[in-house]
Amino acid sequence: MKSILEIESNKKVKIISIAGGKGVRRGLAQMGVGIGSVVIIKRNAPFAGPLVIENHGTSIAIGRGVANKIMVEEV
Amino acid sequence: MRIALVGQPNSGKSTIFNAVAGYKSATSNLPGTTVKYTESKVRLNGKVYELVDFPGTYSLSSTNEAEFEVGKYLIEGDFDLIINIIDASQLGRSLPLTLELLEIGIPIVVALNMIDEASRKGIEINVDLLTNQLGVPIQTTIASKNIGVRELFILARKVIEAELPIRQKKIKCQRDVEEVIEEMEEVVNQKIPLSSPYPPRFLAIKLLEDDDYYRSFATGRNGVHISNTISKLQMKLVSLRGKPQDSVMVLERHAIAMDIYNQVVKVGTPQKDWREIIDNVVMHKYAGYFILIVILLTFFYGVFELGAVIEEFLLTGFEQVNNNLPQYFIPDSLLFYFIKSGLWGIGGGVAIVLPYLIPFLIGLTLLEDIGYLPRVAYLMDAFMHRIGLHGTSIVPAVLGYGCNVPAVMAIRILPSRRDKIISAIIASMVPCSARSIVIFGLIAFYLGPFWAFMIYVFNIVIIALTGKILSILMPEISPGMVLEIPPYRFPSFQVIRKKTWFRIKEFIMVAWPILILGSIILGMLEYFNIVEIIDQVLSPLTAILGLPVAVGTTLIFGVLRKELALIMLTQAIGTTNVASVMSINQIVTFTVFITFYIPCVATMAVLVREVGKSWMLFLLVFTLILATVLSLTIHILGNFFF
Repeated sequence: MKSILEIESNKKVKIISIAGGKGVRRGLAQMGVGIGSVVIIKRNAPFAGPLVIENHGTSIAIGRGVANKIMVEEV
Repeated sequence: MRIALVGQPNSGKSTIFNAVAGYKSATSNLPGTTVKYTESKVRLNGKVYELVDFPGTYSLSSTNEAEFEVGKYLIEGDFDLIINIIDASQLGRSLPLTLELLEIGIPIVVALNMIDEASRKGIEINVDLLTNQLGVPIQTTIASKNIGVRELFILARKVIEAELPIRQKKIKCQRDVEEVIEEMEEVVNQKIPLSSPYPPRFLAIKLLEDDDYYRSFATGRNGVHISNTISKLQMKLVSLRGKPQDSVMVLERHAIAMDIYNQVVKVGTPQKDWREIIDNVVMHKYAGYFILIVILLTFFYGVFELGAVIEEFLLTGFEQVNNNLPQYFIPDSLLFYFIKSGLWGIGGGVAIVLPYLIPFLIGLTLLEDIGYLPRVAYLMDAFMHRIGLHGTSIVPAVLGYGCNVPAVMAIRILPSRRDKIISAIIASMVPCSARSIVIFGLIAFYLGPFWAFMIYVFNIVIIALTGKILSILMPEISPGMVLEIPPYRFPSFQVIRKKTWFRIKEFIMVAWPILILGSIILGMLEYFNIVEIIDQVLSPLTAILGLPVAVGTTLIFGVLRKELALIMLTQAIGTTNVASVMSINQIVTFTVFITFYIPCVATMAVLVREVGKSWMLFLLVFTLILATVLSLTIHILGNFFF
């Protein structure tokens, strides 16, 4: 289990847990991203801006602060 | 009869609204732009319907103010029909909202919009099967090309007039979750009085979602007892699904949506998408910023070069009329002052404001509709973090370049009060199109577009510092950014035209009369020699800044509308050739002052509504001091440069 920040671009991961506030979890859930979701990391440039993940064809930018709290497992 | 247009951000909802309602609303690629409801009357088969365009929303929960208001107004607003606009290329993600809408119990017609985009992505939707699954009539549309929109409204009329049998149903969850919902619903039925506007099942689901507003609505009436039951049932869901109570229901809806999606969609091979390749460059960690700067520079040069040619042409004509004025009226009479100042207001609007405003608005609309702005938010996230905010806060800030009023309203998409306050302050410091007119008309015109660009850069630096200081003063961990990056879209010529026209119309109807009236008032003040008194009162300020005494009055009028400051400046100094009266140093100092000092009255009003009177007053004092300090610094430094 790693933070999603540590995953390279173009890898597929399964979300294990999302720490942090209610607002963030719900915001992600509205885009269909929650515990158990399998998403693709589209863009992850270390130290440079947010991550972009793809979930069922929707691209979502996630700030690094939020991303740090998302624990994933590579699949 | 009332029809609600509801859909997720970027679903093309406002495009459909524009197609039938004419020049009444604005569409945009940024989530939450249409924070105001826009209403219009629509004639269908001889009957007039009221059409309400709702802000784009992902769900009806109260995650943020904008979403919460949609849900509340939908239920309490007495609607006869909901038209649910769905981006067909994002069907899976769009259906959860449809499922929520079904819970309200108002008849629904679904528009599967951007069906062409879906087939490009290789998504083939079995519309008949989807109609069966949801029990609602469906029409496929391509709103940007006006395909299927007419049919959509014919379908809507048929449903309202009950020509079609309504087979709408509520989609049930899986049995274990469904049992919990039913248990909750029973409690709601027992404890919540019948006068509650919310359908019991809808309320039950919202309570299970741990939705703050609906929870306080329910517990406020029934105290601890129902609160305990809610928590107990929430925990039951948590143990069933192993997900936190705040997102378990939302994700459950997504699971159902994906289930429907998998049944009705056949995914073929997508056509090669060139847009992915574009994003590799546009969102690149170095190239992205380079492109950002190139796009902005092109934008400024484009607007300026186009505007300057037209301005010069129009101004020559205007000056001629103005110079001939003494031949027709007795100079220095009251009538002469009245005509002259009125003409100045009219001519200023045509010759100075419109030449820049029109290309500026077209450019901004183009950037919005292509979908570039969310990419700006992406690129700026790291920067925004430095100043204690996150990328989503860039949304109000970027909107501010058009007009500060909707920008301040856009803070509603932010979840925390602290982020709202800081973003509102930042948004109202962004040079809006009115202030841009001053920057273009003075700086770009007399010093060149590069220096105008530098004013914007300078403004961003100051805003960043302000944001940094505010976030140090108000330490709080902000929840962070979760923002959809929509695909690029080809802007439709028709939509751009309508949107630009809509905004220009706003200038003509609202701002221009103020400009003319302001000019006439200034003319009258001049005639009765009151201007001198005002200038005298403000002379300490103008003297410190090294500005001509005559500009004092224009600073006051600029509070009404920022363009007014420019028109008044030319009027006060008696020529449109500003450089003949003011030095370059003075022009720069004046522009910097106008750019930074207090927001216009309309922005103040909306600030009071969104963040409260005390924050508005704070901003008033703060920007006044800031503008003085900055323009003074520029004035002193300018002595070395200009």
